[in-house]
Amino acid sequence: MSQENLLEIVSVDRTYVDTDDNTVEALRDINLTVRKGEFLTIIGPSGCGKTTLLRLIAGLDRPEAGEILLAGEKITAPDPQRGYVFQQGSLFPWLTVEKNIAAGLKARGVYQENKADVAQFIELIGLHGFAKSYPHQISGGMAQRVAIARTLINRPVALLLDEPMGALDTFSRADLQDKLLELWENDGTTMVLVTHDVDEAIYLSDRIVIMTPRPGKISEILDVHLPRPRQRGDAEFMALRKNLLEKFHLASSMPQPEYAI
Amino acid sequence: MKPIFDIQFMISIVPEILKVVPVTLNITIVSMFFAIIVGLISALVRIYKIPVACQIASTYLSFMRGTPLLVQIYLAYYGIPKILDYAHTYYGWNIDVNGIPAIVFIYFAFTLNVGAYLSETIRAAIQAIDKGQMEAALSIGMTTWQGLRRIIFPQALAVALPSFGNTVISLIKDTSLAFMISVVEMMGQAKILGARGLQFFEVYIVVALIYWIICIIVERTVIRLEKRVKQFERGRSI
Repeated sequence: MSQENLLEIVSVDRTYVDTDDNTVEALRDINLTVRKGEFLTIIGPSGCGKTTLLRLIAGLDRPEAGEILLAGEKITAPDPQRGYVFQQGSLFPWLTVEKNIAAGLKARGVYQENKADVAQFIELIGLHGFAKSYPHQISGGMAQRVAIARTLINRPVALLLDEPMGALDTFSRADLQDKLLELWENDGTTMVLVTHDVDEAIYLSDRIVIMTPRPGKISEILDVHLPRPRQRGDAEFMALRKNLLEKFHLASSMPQPEYAI
Repeated sequence: MKPIFDIQFMISIVPEILKVVPVTLNITIVSMFFAIIVGLISALVRIYKIPVACQIASTYLSFMRGTPLLVQIYLAYYGIPKILDYAHTYYGWNIDVNGIPAIVFIYFAFTLNVGAYLSETIRAAIQAIDKGQMEAALSIGMTTWQGLRRIIFPQALAVALPSFGNTVISLIKDTSLAFMISVVEMMGQAKILGARGLQFFEVYIVVALIYWIICIIVERTVIRLEKRVKQFERGRSI
């Protein structure tokens, strides 16, 4: 893995007003650098601002202070260079699998010369035979694979994944995680994954960014040195898991009450 | 005993009424076409809260929905020539006001009236589509306009179609007001025919039946269209 930096997040703040008119500090003074080609996971409990941060990187939202740079250039709007995979249900419902995947190519007017890619990506995500199916006809796991293919076909330099496995059952989840690793190892796209699943974070990432809520900020960045392919039952895996869960406990909960008898 | 209405006479006037059905359809189609454009623009202006244009659109909507259609028709019929005449006199616009056929004022009034109602339908339909759809479109490289046209509009159409169909049916019935400024459509023809032999009852029965049949056809067509745009929802889920 190269040490070249791809994404730089510099002193980013973001607040928003919730439905009860309260101001919520979603992100406070976020500084983070993502290296080119790495698999980075952002983990934290609900409300820690991890999705907000990912949306800022995607350009779907703007920071109030600070800036985010991709290869030195400031991010101001969504761009297919930074592919975004949504939590669920983002496929275009009345387009077939094939047309969903081809949508980006068509929009940018490069469909004719890249036509072959569509079939190739359908093959790659293991959806052979489902090209003409509509999103509601395939399972949740398949739909997320289509969403990933729809994004990857634009050859992004970074893939931003917002809990793409969050709504899946255990088996589809493990399956999609392996698929994701396979895609990552094949073309070295930088991955930024948001999740609240500790196992998923350890299984997939080179580095894990731990965030805590109210205000959303980064509490720690952890390197994962386990060799790949990783085994979920490994002693080292389990040790890291315990370590991570403890950190969460310390970082996010109130001090334990002391009892004297 | 004489029958309550003269069937013989009713049958004989059917062709004469049918002769002006194209006028009714013409008013409907032309007004609808421009009303969709007006409705779409005023809906987008309000969704994206474009300054000034947004306020103008809201005022326009409020006025059109708060005044009777007949008044709007008279306003167009008496107002537009006056304005053009004024422009002709003081600014040297070379327009022959008397040369404008009355149906143009009808188009104008109906377009603005129906456009206002469609605007609400279109706005609600667009806002009913999940925000994530537009974000997904933008993030795979579509422009906002491409996202609207390729992703949002087709889905919004499916949502808006039933209420769109109702608007078309109302418009068809409202075209009967066009005779108030002497455009001879079905209602106008009926008045002329009725006056001929003072058999108004018979004439209006025929006219009512023809309106009814046209509206049934439109209703059926909309239902069929609805099935077609929702075709993607068919098929078994796994």
